[in-house]
Amino acid sequence: MTTTETAAPYVLEAEDVAVHYGGIKAVDGFGLRLPPGKIYGILGPNGSGKSTFLAAVTRLVPLTRGRLLLDGKEYHSEPPMKLARKGLARTFQTVRLLPELTVLQNVQLGADINDPRGRLRSWLGRDRPSEAVEEAIERTGLGDVRNAWPTELSYGMARRVEIARALAARPRLLLLDEPTAGMNHSERQEVSELMQKLRDEGLAQLIVEHDVQMMVDTCDHLVAMNFGSLVAEGSPQEVVSHPAVQEAYLGKRWRSHA
Amino acid sequence: MIGWYEANIVLIEATFLNFLLALSIQVPLRVGVFSFAGVGSYGLGAYTAAILTIRYDVPAFVAIGAAVVFAAVVGYLFSLIVARLNGLYLAMATIAFVLIISVLATNGGELTGGANGLYGALSDLTTGGVVAVCVVVAFLLALTERGPLRRRIEAVREDPELSMSMGIGVVTVRQLAFTVSGALGACAGAMNALLRTTVSPEEINFHLIVLALTMVIIGGSRSWMGAFIGAVIFTWLPSMLATTGRWQDVVYGLIIILAAIFMPTGLLGLVQSLYQKLRGRSRTAAPAEPPAEEAVEERAMLQALSGESKEGVR
Repeated sequence: MTTTETAAPYVLEAEDVAVHYGGIKAVDGFGLRLPPGKIYGILGPNGSGKSTFLAAVTRLVPLTRGRLLLDGKEYHSEPPMKLARKGLARTFQTVRLLPELTVLQNVQLGADINDPRGRLRSWLGRDRPSEAVEEAIERTGLGDVRNAWPTELSYGMARRVEIARALAARPRLLLLDEPTAGMNHSERQEVSELMQKLRDEGLAQLIVEHDVQMMVDTCDHLVAMNFGSLVAEGSPQEVVSHPAVQEAYLGKRWRSHA
Repeated sequence: MIGWYEANIVLIEATFLNFLLALSIQVPLRVGVFSFAGVGSYGLGAYTAAILTIRYDVPAFVAIGAAVVFAAVVGYLFSLIVARLNGLYLAMATIAFVLIISVLATNGGELTGGANGLYGALSDLTTGGVVAVCVVVAFLLALTERGPLRRRIEAVREDPELSMSMGIGVVTVRQLAFTVSGALGACAGAMNALLRTTVSPEEINFHLIVLALTMVIIGGSRSWMGAFIGAVIFTWLPSMLATTGRWQDVVYGLIIILAAIFMPTGLLGLVQSLYQKLRGRSRTAAPAEPPAEEAVEERAMLQALSGESKEGVR
């Protein structure tokens, strides 16, 4: 955390972010700083404001207060569609695949951002998937189902397509909202391994997840939130053994396990 | 063959004009915008072309071009006014737009010929010209039904929020849809006015909205081919049903009801799913668990809704 670095030391900085809906303070004075090549996780019970914070970071809900910076540049007054081109990609809490496009086409949609106007060649001739698309499909293990329709996939598979679509954009920052929900143990393991591999290649990631074990195994740093604000922050072990976190999110059973 | 063509020239021309009218409703529908403004643009285009031809005696392509540009601009401006509306409210606003055009035409005094409309818009527009315009339009729209453009259009319709996070300017796409819809509607109206040499306010009425929507829903709402199929059916069906005499309207209505019930994706969708079945691939073969739950919920919701209203639920 030196202040002498010339390049922006953080991919994402959120300072004092607040999102209020009338009297409801969904997020109230929360913030974090995500350096490149790290996986940060946000932990918290349902309704603690995690997903609203992600929506605020991706500009899908307006900020009541606060600052957002991507690579050291403020972006909290820019429209959401500008962010993809700045290297920010996300997945959503629920599966949001386009039902009338195949798996391959859904992933291609992610890569289209780097080809903004659509080359005339791909309008007229064959629409061949780019290298980024092929790589995203291969890394998420979707090769066998690339021509399937989203309705033919299992829930875990569909979630992988979401991750592939985000990766196809070749982002600098990846936000994952409950990426392993609905997956079985081995699928979770695979996603966790993929995330760590991507981290080692320098991709910064921010995850929101319920599965505490997966968060501990995957993240470099955890941030715990409740009622819209920060409760604890630090290494995964520190955070999950923090008394306030244990009481608020994990209950006493986790304490006896730990 | 020549004899048949000569005898049916009016219906053949009407097929292509209805095709363009149907497209003016289909283009916004494809991006998830429920707009009938294209029917208003049809009136706008018809009057613009008729006035230019009668008063200034301009060539047909100038009159049509001016009508298209004018209605496209009006369509764009209209999209700014209704930018915050969605769904049923948007549909209501666009119906109001159509009726306003009709009222303006009726009360336009000397310029629009009042309730009698305009006569004597003689031009050099030929059937071949109409077909050529339709071929160009169909080709351009076919380009939006493949590759990256199709993906973006699908995304904007199915999930505007997702589209934004994928870097697609949803607002711009919607404005563009209104603009193109205005141009297509005006093109149909202008060519109709010049071929018939007349235009009157009662042409731009609620019936025209229903016709345009029926063509798209029964033909297919995802592709220009669906609009074409719809245009062929609903241009020729009334004259074919003439043999049923006074039962004509009843049979017409029955056909529409049956089609809406048994072909929710339109005739084109039916043909495509048959084709896929023949190739041994069905896209609804094995739905995953969450969609199945959704379907049950949806059915329950439909049942709840149909208790209150017997119509309007697809």
